[in-house]
Amino acid sequence: MSQDIATIRVTRYRPEKDAKPFFQEYKVPYRHDMVVLDALNYIKAEIDGSLTYRWSCRMGVCGSCGANIDGEPKLTCASFLHEFKGRTITVEPMTHFPVIKDLVVDMQDFMEKLVKIKPWIIREKETPPEQGEYKQSAKELERYSQFSSCINCMLCYAACPIYGLNEKFLGPAATALAYRYIEDSRDQGKEVRFPIVHEMEGAWECTLVGECSVVCPKGVDPMLAIQKTKILGATNAIKSLLMPRGGR
Amino acid sequence: MEDNKRYPELRRRLSPGWWTANRHYTMYMVREWTSLFVALYSLIFIYGLSLWAMGSRADFLNFLKNPAIVGFSLIALVFTMYHAATWFYLLGAVAPVKIGRSRTKPWQALVLNLILLVIISYLAIWLLVLR
Ligand code: SF4
Ligand code: FES
Repeated sequence: MSQDIATIRVTRYRPEKDAKPFFQEYKVPYRHDMVVLDALNYIKAEIDGSLTYRWSCRMGVCGSCGANIDGEPKLTCASFLHEFKGRTITVEPMTHFPVIKDLVVDMQDFMEKLVKIKPWIIREKETPPEQGEYKQSAKELERYSQFSSCINCMLCYAACPIYGLNEKFLGPAATALAYRYIEDSRDQGKEVRFPIVHEMEGAWECTLVGECSVVCPKGVDPMLAIQKTKILGATNAIKSLLMPRGGR
Repeated sequence: MEDNKRYPELRRRLSPGWWTANRHYTMYMVREWTSLFVALYSLIFIYGLSLWAMGSRADFLNFLKNPAIVGFSLIALVFTMYHAATWFYLLGAVAPVKIGRSRTKPWQALVLNLILLVIISYLAIWLLVLR
């Protein structure tokens, strides 16, 4: 197979040496089946061992290889080099996050948000395992399964201008995950999660830009989850106004 | 870890021109800005109604016939239609209706709502002006 040469411009930033980030350009020979991550690996192995970036699975599952490619948040392992043929490919760290080194960003904020929404099934009272599993029908599964495909890649946060303006915003993936548990028939933690997703910087901060759903590599559609969260919250509020007792 | 020095935080913030970065952002901004015309038109219309309330229906109609108001109304109509269409589409995306085994598509909500809009607008025009 013939080999083409890709020109890649990568953000370099080593806080111990550089006052500011800068671009470094590399030439990488590539085959048709190679992705941007392969090019980064080639650079690290053959040209410059100090280039720093995250990756693990190479197959869009682990969610660790996100970067801004030509300005758009993408998984580097899912972006083919041949799609950029004839152009210089610019690879930058994901927007809105603090940069630790080169393409590696600080994930702390997102990790805290994930824990905050309690991404596990909450039961009022756990039944012992001997009594069997909590059953669920295919129909009940369908209500939330789309929102359970998130791989925590944070691309949606890099795409969200609201998060860019206000990092306190709970944001797309965390709200989608909260909604995933709220809609799970086995879960009984609505009372706990509702205040979290409806607080000042929760779902209502979203103004429907919709770019989170455009960039999501897993078809999660966080924008939809956030609006559904709003609808649930609003109907709940009306219900409790009309029927202060019961009526849940 | 004493040698774990903190470096100044580097973070790419939103630039004032962020909405020009891609087509989706720009369309979003257009959607938000067109609402300004909706608001302005509402104010003008409320003023017109107040003329009717305090004077006569003819005052109201004369005010609306002013060429400047007609011109602005036409521009506002275009923007309002665009604004409405974006929200009808979003409504279809956010709250699809289940019919049998399939769900309605956003464009179906858009078309249905536009038809409803035309009917309701005609009724309103008939009530206010033509009758
Ligand atoms: S919702 Fe999509 S874009 Fe956001 S973190 Fe999950 S997989 Fe990534
Ligand atoms: S390396 Fe795992 S998602 Fe890209």
